[in-house]
Amino acid sequence: MMTKSDDEFLDDIFGTAKAQPTLVPDDLMARVMADAQSALVKPDGAPKQSLFAGVFDIIGGWPSVGGLAMAGVAGLWFGVSPPAALSTWTAELIGVPVSVDLFGDTTAYFAETQIDG
Amino acid sequence: MSTSTGSWADAPDGAILLTYANGDVEAARVLSGRLLPRVLAQATRMLSDQAEAEDVAQEAMMRLWKIAPDWRQDEAQVSTWLYRVVANLCTDRLRKRRGVSLDQITEPADPTASAAGQIQDNARLSALSAALTELPERQAQAVSLRHLEGLSNPDIADIMNISVRSVESLTARGKRALADILRKHKSALGYDDD
Repeated sequence: MMTKSDDEFLDDIFGTAKAQPTLVPDDLMARVMADAQSALVKPDGAPKQSLFAGVFDIIGGWPSVGGLAMAGVAGLWFGVSPPAALSTWTAELIGVPVSVDLFGDTTAYFAETQIDG
Repeated sequence: MSTSTGSWADAPDGAILLTYANGDVEAARVLSGRLLPRVLAQATRMLSDQAEAEDVAQEAMMRLWKIAPDWRQDEAQVSTWLYRVVANLCTDRLRKRRGVSLDQITEPADPTASAAGQIQDNARLSALSAALTELPERQAQAVSLRHLEGLSNPDIADIMNISVRSVESLTARGKRALADILRKHKSALGYDDD
């Protein structure tokens, strides 16, 4: 149990502490303001990001990834089951594929006679 | 936004902090003018060491700048947040000082100083700070917020995230423990023994 005397001398010490003048030195204020300035500026060595994150940012984030996925699915679908309209359009654009027999029946006959003598 | 100090006069700390977070360094200057003296005073009273107190004050303000972009005005007051940060930083420093003899500290450090009263004040403040290192950290924080900062128990409860009843308990036990520690040095600190 504290005696009254304990209260008095402790309160006196507390009072001494509270009575101490506190002046903010100019250099402390300058340091604090420099910190405030630097905390606003993004550091040069900015947060490192993975290659994937870098590419992800370059292509435009999730919206672009969504577009890429949709394009991929559409491409796959056209490859597996191209619509008739697409076949017509490609035929007009790049022509119809034609099979050419470079070695016809006469060529085979000729080759056989050469081998058999 | 206008950057004249007068235009900030009635603005709450949280609003100025958010203005700073939006890139207005002048807002930081206004906030520092308001808060830094109190931050430094709190650190000085707990640590009784000017250089250490300045380091703590700078660190506390730096933490404020860093948290500014995420500050939510409706959740806390800047002053309450700073009291908590400074109290934690100071108790970290006090913990590192543990083991330093109170007898060494209560000896006047500079016998050539002209003002004897100031020497005695310094000895008392150093003894108080050293005695705080011997208290459990929560007690040291509660006692310093109550008796050095003069805050109310509900405010301390808010700062320490505990109930008012816990604050009352911590301050009572802390003050009793301080008295036990410092009583042994009363005469060295310039008080008459009973």
